[in-house]
Amino acid sequence: MSAAASASAAIESPQPGSAARGLYSWVATVDHKRIGILYLLTALVFFAAGGIEALLMRIQLARPDNTFLSPDAYNQLFTMHGTTMIFLVVMPTLFGLANYLVPLMIGARDMAFPRLNALSYWLLPCGGLLLHFSLLAGGAPALGWFSYAPLSETPYASTPGVDYWGLSLLILGAGSVAASINLIATILTLRAPGSTIRRLPLFVWMIFVNSFLVILALPALNAAIVMLFIDRHLGTNFFAPTHGGSAVLWQHFFWAFGHPEVYIMALPAFGIISEVVPVFARRPIFGYEFVAGSTVAIALLSFGVWAHHMFAVGMGHPMDLFFAATSMLIAVPTGVKVFAWSATMWGGSIRLTTAMLFAVAFLIQFTVGGLSGVTFAVVPIDWQVTDTYYLVAHFHYVLFGGTFFAVFAGLYYWFPQITGRMLSERLGKLNFWMALIGFNTAFFVQHFLGLMGMTRRIYTYPDLPGWGLFNMISTVGAFLLGASVLVLLSNIIVSLRSGKPAGDNPWQAWTLEWAATSPPLAHNFDRVPPIRSRRPLWDLAHPQNPDPVVGGVAARDDFVLEKNQAGMASFLISEGMFFLMLILAYLFYNNHAMSGPTPAGTLNPQRAGIYTRCLLASSLTLWLAEKKLKAQKHSAFRLLLGLTILLGVVFIFGQGREYLRIFHEGVMVDSNLFATTFFTLTGFHGLHVCVGVIALLIVMGLALAGDFKQGRIEAVKSIGLYWHFVDAVWLVVFSVIYLRLLL
Amino acid sequence: MTTRQFLISAWDWNPWVIAICVAAILIYGAWPRFRFSRKFGWLLAGMAVFFLTLASPIDALADGYLFSAHMSQHLLLLLVVPPLILLSLPSTPVPDRSQIGRWKWLNWIVWHPVPTWCLGVGGMWLWHAPALCNAAVTSAWVHRLQYVSLLLMGFAFWWPIIGPWSKQRLSPLAGIIYLFSACIGCTVLGIIITFSPVEVCSIYLHPLDRLGILPLIQNQWGLTPAKDQQLGGLLMWVPACLIYFCGILGLLARWYGKAYDEAIIPESQLTKTLIEEPHVH
Repeated sequence: MSAAASASAAIESPQPGSAARGLYSWVATVDHKRIGILYLLTALVFFAAGGIEALLMRIQLARPDNTFLSPDAYNQLFTMHGTTMIFLVVMPTLFGLANYLVPLMIGARDMAFPRLNALSYWLLPCGGLLLHFSLLAGGAPALGWFSYAPLSETPYASTPGVDYWGLSLLILGAGSVAASINLIATILTLRAPGSTIRRLPLFVWMIFVNSFLVILALPALNAAIVMLFIDRHLGTNFFAPTHGGSAVLWQHFFWAFGHPEVYIMALPAFGIISEVVPVFARRPIFGYEFVAGSTVAIALLSFGVWAHHMFAVGMGHPMDLFFAATSMLIAVPTGVKVFAWSATMWGGSIRLTTAMLFAVAFLIQFTVGGLSGVTFAVVPIDWQVTDTYYLVAHFHYVLFGGTFFAVFAGLYYWFPQITGRMLSERLGKLNFWMALIGFNTAFFVQHFLGLMGMTRRIYTYPDLPGWGLFNMISTVGAFLLGASVLVLLSNIIVSLRSGKPAGDNPWQAWTLEWAATSPPLAHNFDRVPPIRSRRPLWDLAHPQNPDPVVGGVAARDDFVLEKNQAGMASFLISEGMFFLMLILAYLFYNNHAMSGPTPAGTLNPQRAGIYTRCLLASSLTLWLAEKKLKAQKHSAFRLLLGLTILLGVVFIFGQGREYLRIFHEGVMVDSNLFATTFFTLTGFHGLHVCVGVIALLIVMGLALAGDFKQGRIEAVKSIGLYWHFVDAVWLVVFSVIYLRLLL
Repeated sequence: MTTRQFLISAWDWNPWVIAICVAAILIYGAWPRFRFSRKFGWLLAGMAVFFLTLASPIDALADGYLFSAHMSQHLLLLLVVPPLILLSLPSTPVPDRSQIGRWKWLNWIVWHPVPTWCLGVGGMWLWHAPALCNAAVTSAWVHRLQYVSLLLMGFAFWWPIIGPWSKQRLSPLAGIIYLFSACIGCTVLGIIITFSPVEVCSIYLHPLDRLGILPLIQNQWGLTPAKDQQLGGLLMWVPACLIYFCGILGLLARWYGKAYDEAIIPESQLTKTLIEEPHVH
């Protein structure tokens, strides 16, 4: 390789270099395929942990009045099981598959930001270990995976378990948002020529939509956890009703994240099924447009249904009415998908491989879970069965019978592509039937237990007629399910060592990832085949009878984005949601009179107005600076950039002086809820201004070093985007906090 | 008064409203290339909604009795009537240059998505500032101004999505972002109204019972002022978003429909070479 070529390769996609060998090469890797595999392996380790936790609980519940586990141990187990399975197993598995497959499916060499990609992965083991470290530090969190406040406030949860839970979720959340930003930028900007958005494989489509769900929903959780932290460590009262806080706000914030989260865990599974079913039914997907469009519909609706988790809280009839309606509505686009998959199989020549078996089981079990989900939209039924085993059965049908079965289908389908070896079909069938029987035995009877009134999250139950028997059946099923996972593991190990070599396209599939060798080259493809339709490999294999061309002979989407700006824009969308939550909290707590310091008595809107003008002026100077840079006027650019930094620093100092003045008046963050929300909101904004100033200083350093002389100004534009965003947020914050005092 | 009596008697046969409806249909029908088609159906639907909004008992209830009725009117005028009328207009790929010359600034407002978005979402926020909200009930002129401005802002908001000049429409992905962010905008306002312990529109707290229907509303329908405001907030929050959501579905349908053409690139650029030489690893 010539020096020039290697230099350009290093710029295009950083590689660990030839020095990295063995285990170290995996630690240092920035290759999306290796990172994807790391995600999957890490998820597997945590899957074992979460599974063992589940089995321990099933042992405890096998008999009435059992004493195998203490109540406290049981509380810790169900909390850790839920948190582990959702944040450390399902999400990493889906991110792992997305990481591995998306660049291959769109004909890209790697993700848009390979180093960011490695960071998002390494945040996962960090978060996971931090969560489990709580076991050594005074006990695991024990409040359920949603850690309802005020139960999670210091007086009721004095051990640091909740803190570890919150910290690890913040870290995992940051990793998920980073991974999603990366996926959005990759899908928007790195598609091979001809791979228009309307021709994307449905898996990529769903990952694309899903990534937006992640960046929009996770900030709600992060904001809530931040408030909980401030409560626990600075003595404030966001969620303490005894001091004017709200006992319900946490639930709103949590479920505003939590319901989209359900779809974050389901959409990629839908994507897997949309790939597996057509290949093994030997027919193109029925109603591609409807499957893709209904994904968008589900994603949008998922933000408008969260309150159905709170029917039992007592929100009043109007709320119940509207959210019951939207919750029923969301079943429609999901139903569209189920019909599309069924119609794809109809009349196809179905090959019942293990992957297809899992996909078919997914279809049935997910429908069962979906239907029981619709029953929760009926408010009186929800009041009756909420927090019973009916609920447990419902979401396990969705998440295990649905998502996990889809993941197993995907694993059997893509394993040959990833490793170059086939998984054994004989062991696979055994694995499938054990999982199918085990899963349904374990969870179907729980519907009855729930209807009979058995509540979840209680460590034991009295010896009522039928309860002992049903619970024993459920436990037996759970162990069968556990054993099926052992079969899967042994299948993977055996096949890795002595599996049948796969060849490049063992299933005669049609999407682009199968055009690569199995396992793929480090750079994925030597040449990406031409893409004119949704099944490029079908066209390649059947030149006489190609698929209909979608949208023109050789089409390109009518928008072209730059990857840094696409990444920054999606990051800012996420940040915007975070600030929206803080602003809503401010409004929520400050729309009625309270004792203690008031906005009118504490704040000085005139002086804040002066600093506001500085910040707004800095947006103008930065905009001018960008124009100068574009015109190659470097000294003017540096001058204006310096001015921008100066104005930013003036704003920070102004805010600092305001803070000091307010402190001197005796108003602290824990004085009352006005002070708490004020300092939280403006403090987070100030933090963002500081980060912006640091970023501008780095840009300045690069400019002084002559880095932009060649016209590579994307970095400046991206940082500019961030700076304008921070200013725009301040404009809103200023209106919400200060402008009301001036009117 | 019973509900039935109220629903029969509370119609307001305002001559202006009827005149506007009839005039709009006549002008549309007098257009030389008029045919009975789906587009005419959109117009009829638009005018029917317009008529129901301003003449039906909803208007009587909105007139000082129920905040939620006022909110329904607001949503219908801003989010339902304008898109229905825009859908009824014939679509042409390019605007007639000679016609827009003098109206360039107006074209910018109705074409550039940032001002139109601000008009559509800002309109909702503006008219729910407590002072303006009360003034619209007490003063007949402010009331009329509110109706007209809501309609105009509605037209501006929907123009980049379903305006008649198809070349000026937003691309589907941008359109989805446009509508989704508008949905967030009205969700936030809806949430604030729903959970606000103080009255947004204090005039509805103590209605002047001119029609003698207050006992009917408060006792038989059970709509206390607190519940009424909650209902109003929820209307802004959920159904308003569902209307934007329908717009998004429409965009997706248009995108995947066959009418949409993408730019054509030469066949020679269709294969992409990721790296010429095998990668050393």
